[in-house]
Amino acid sequence: MSAVAVPRIAAPARSSRKRRGRFSPTQGALYAVLAIIAVVYISPFLIQVVTSVKTEPDAATNPMSMIPNPVSFAALNKLLLNSDFPHWFLISAVVSVCVMLGRVLFDSAAGYALARLHFRGRNLVFGALIGIMAVPGVALLIPRFLVLRQVGLYDTLPGIILPFFADAAGVFIMKNFFEGIPVAVEESARVDGANIFRTYWSVVLPMARPALVTILIMSFQGSWNELQQFIVSAQRPELINLTKGVALLISGQLGQGTQYPLKLAAATLMTIPVAIIFFIFQKRIMNNATGAVKE
Amino acid sequence: MRKNLGKVWGAAAITLAVTLALAGCSKTTPSTTTAPPAPAPSTTAAPTTTAAPTTTGAPTSSAAPLTILFGSSGDAETNAIKAAAAAWTAKSGIPVTVTPATNMDQELAQGFASGKPADVFYISPGALAANADAGNLWAYGDMLPNKADFYPALVADYTYKGKFYAAPKDYGTLQLIINDDLWSKAGLTAADYPKTWDDLHNVAKKLTSGNVTGLVIGGQYERLGAFMVANGSNLMSVDQTKVTATDQSNVDALNFAKSMLADGSMKFAADISTGWGGEAFIKQLCAMTIEGNWISGAMKADAPNVKFTVVPMPASPTTGKQGTLEFSNGWGIAADSPNQQGALSLVEFLTTTEQQIAFAKAFGPTPSLQSGTAQFNSEFPAMKPFADGVAYAQGVPTIKGASTVLGDLNNQLAQLAKSDPAAILASTQTELQALLG
Amino acid sequence: MAMAPARRTTRGGIRKGEALSGWILSAPVLIALFVFLFLPILMTAWVSVSDYNGHGSPLSGKFSFVGADNYVAITSGGGLQEKIFGWSLRNTLWYVVLVVPIVTALSLFLAVIVNGRVLRGRGFFRTAFYFPSVTSSVAIIALWMFLFNASGVVNKMLSWIGIHGPVWFNDPQGIFTALLSGLGLKEAPAALANHGFLGVSWWSWIGGPSWAMTALMLQAIFCTSGTFMLLFIAGLQNLSPEVDEAAIVDGATAWQRFWHVTLPQLKPVLFTVVTLGIIGAWQMFDQVFSSTKGGPGNTTYTLAYRAYSASMIDGYWGQGMAVAFILFGIIILFTILQRFWLRDRPDMPRPPKKTKGVVPS
Repeated sequence: MSAVAVPRIAAPARSSRKRRGRFSPTQGALYAVLAIIAVVYISPFLIQVVTSVKTEPDAATNPMSMIPNPVSFAALNKLLLNSDFPHWFLISAVVSVCVMLGRVLFDSAAGYALARLHFRGRNLVFGALIGIMAVPGVALLIPRFLVLRQVGLYDTLPGIILPFFADAAGVFIMKNFFEGIPVAVEESARVDGANIFRTYWSVVLPMARPALVTILIMSFQGSWNELQQFIVSAQRPELINLTKGVALLISGQLGQGTQYPLKLAAATLMTIPVAIIFFIFQKRIMNNATGAVKE
Repeated sequence: MRKNLGKVWGAAAITLAVTLALAGCSKTTPSTTTAPPAPAPSTTAAPTTTAAPTTTGAPTSSAAPLTILFGSSGDAETNAIKAAAAAWTAKSGIPVTVTPATNMDQELAQGFASGKPADVFYISPGALAANADAGNLWAYGDMLPNKADFYPALVADYTYKGKFYAAPKDYGTLQLIINDDLWSKAGLTAADYPKTWDDLHNVAKKLTSGNVTGLVIGGQYERLGAFMVANGSNLMSVDQTKVTATDQSNVDALNFAKSMLADGSMKFAADISTGWGGEAFIKQLCAMTIEGNWISGAMKADAPNVKFTVVPMPASPTTGKQGTLEFSNGWGIAADSPNQQGALSLVEFLTTTEQQIAFAKAFGPTPSLQSGTAQFNSEFPAMKPFADGVAYAQGVPTIKGASTVLGDLNNQLAQLAKSDPAAILASTQTELQALLG
Repeated sequence: MAMAPARRTTRGGIRKGEALSGWILSAPVLIALFVFLFLPILMTAWVSVSDYNGHGSPLSGKFSFVGADNYVAITSGGGLQEKIFGWSLRNTLWYVVLVVPIVTALSLFLAVIVNGRVLRGRGFFRTAFYFPSVTSSVAIIALWMFLFNASGVVNKMLSWIGIHGPVWFNDPQGIFTALLSGLGLKEAPAALANHGFLGVSWWSWIGGPSWAMTALMLQAIFCTSGTFMLLFIAGLQNLSPEVDEAAIVDGATAWQRFWHVTLPQLKPVLFTVVTLGIIGAWQMFDQVFSSTKGGPGNTTYTLAYRAYSASMIDGYWGQGMAVAFILFGIIILFTILQRFWLRDRPDMPRPPKKTKGVVPS
């Protein structure tokens, strides 16, 4: 995994290395168990991809077959050329990009303030962050709609995006990062006369790149996979994103019948961006997950 | 840091308490300070828009563009409504945005709560009472010039506490739909079209073979209720002042359905992984289904090669009468619409005989006007049983809260094969009774 | 953080203007938190004790305070609202009670074998088990409805071993009811069938999750076991190898070492996983919204989904918000319990540790 983890793994590895030569029955069994579980975890995705290029009768009668007979791009065609799917995709992309940029900026600013600046009420702010982090989002689903309508943001793109900035976890990540790097560089900038915002912008932010990448990845995953926020903050068809559109598609609200190839093609296409990001940043994401969930 | 967590929690608790108190004092501020006045689509418009929207008084009027929100059965319906709206815009000069809903109930509710509802929308009789009480609807019905031409039963559907709220858009009755090929393949002819429930049961048994089930219907009151009506009852009396769910005729009707489920000659759509009877019919997983005229649009779109015949519902052996349920949709106009005058004119246009026949051609609904029926029957002789059904049809309960009760009833009916019909109806009796107070 | 006051006294000069800058820099997040997390709590509290009916703003002055009416309506009176609330509570409880232990055990098991001696392919297996956790639950539900349809993949596989699978997403029968009926107990004992709590008979309370809910539970397990597995792996890698090696020297078997050496040391992680699992499980919403909408037979209503459907679909806004507020209370209670336990245990993993993944490597 990470550099931190490697030395620790080395210890148990040492004792096993002695026995590396023989392939014990226990180890064989272990591999077998692992392989079976891996099939359980992977095959659903393979079925999903294969089914999305099947014809509907083929999908219904041979759900397990890994070979489409015949191969049909009808579902993909319909999705990409003759449905709102591309628009949903666009909305998801726009929202994700805005959320990523906004969070990078605001999380790092607040994290920096909490880590480095000494101001009256800082403990209060920090306490409020921790307190509010415990608030379960789903219980606030409907009231968030009421608040959005109250402040006039309901059914607008900003109304979808702004609530994503209520991201206490990201502030903590940034705060902890800033506390972990030496203060000397920025202090010298400050002594040279740069004001706080300038120091933050041109000295601190560039140093924080690793943490910012983490925020970017987490923001992308969070906003791309988010459903509830889109349900309550807008109703116009032009503001439907992927999760909401596909959720309505699969629950039959769009009058689509079973149409498994269509639904699974939609599921496949919406998974592709997350999968790409995942495989590029695999190590970092798996490390983030370990940390982020610990809140 | 670790030892501090306790302190931090203390601080958090204090902060929450303080902010709670602060926010408590200024709870109204968000509405006055942060909220710009709701950017109603009328910002460009005439001074009359400033008049408070109203549920009864003089309609608001402006040049504000209109929106139509509707639950679409498919592209055919969406395109037909778009075409009609475009035709009206060409006449009136007022632009209309046509929005097929993705989640109709929720979007309507969000619209009303947000103060920016669609101006014109589909409304079902079941949703009328609650929305009328909440002040969401403009009761414009009495201003319609062709009010007397609507079927009286439909006008009653949209009348609540003495006010006629919405123009009936169309109606549909349930009838028996038969797949011609599977019918003749089973050695049956037109002479075998079922006249009674026993006939229905017999042909269903004959038609059931392989993966084809004789009869597939939605496992819900909105289909099974047709048998209750034929048996001489329904969940409520026609004037909806008395709950009659536990009538023996209703229990018998469900027991008949249960007997068909028991021998497999009838199945519920969900039990063969289809969404509704029409889908099973389109996929030829059944030889018969019980559906309304909307199935013709679906057949045209998804199964143009499957030939089918619509025959009248078979009669109950007890009463010797036919029975069916009638469904309708109406055009609601929002109390908060800034351009009610325009919305009314649009609805008048949409409910003319001419326009209703155009809709019928596009996606099959039966006109809500008495003057439209004759033309409908001559244009679509094969669909005649749907129109004739109105003579012996009843509506579903529409009192406030009834749709939730029906949802609960449907949950139980889905398991009819394994349940006791009397017990199901008893719980519905209690729940409906509670609504009457 | 604890060192902050000390630092302030040593360098005062360049601290000028920090108060204003500090507030300015934290303002965007603070405002977002206040408006989108805090105000909604107040809104929930107010609407749940008001007669708000969904027309216009709940703050418009048209609506009045009705005391505990909404809470009373969903918890008593024998009406439909009580019954659906009862089902929602019952379903959510079963979901929590079954998903949390299963996902904890499974993810611990995965972590142990992936972290074990098998060196070849461990990265591959880890990725395979974790991948479902990064995909959207909507996409997985689309897949699930295909896999679990009446003649779908799962039922085909069950038929290989002679089992006639249920019509998953359309079968409201509780799995324990099904089990009992398989054992010959087909009729509910009158004492259990005729009495109940919150409008749901005791027989239904103990019937277990329906087949439909079971399918959703399997989806949740599939989608969250990877995340928890990573947590356990991190915990395993923080263990001191010396203790384990000493146990090897003492001749302990692998199972003994796991049970008596590894597991006790993992207690803090175990605790974190369980509480996170509980908090997450209470919030189950997305899957129900995308598939069953509460059916069949009310058996997939969860508290979170009921709060939504009562307000936005059925129009009972006050009652829906009462459900939301009760759910809010339950989750806050578990969160406070978790924090309370963490506070007393210096060896517990806690938020600051998350920097580990962020430290430049």
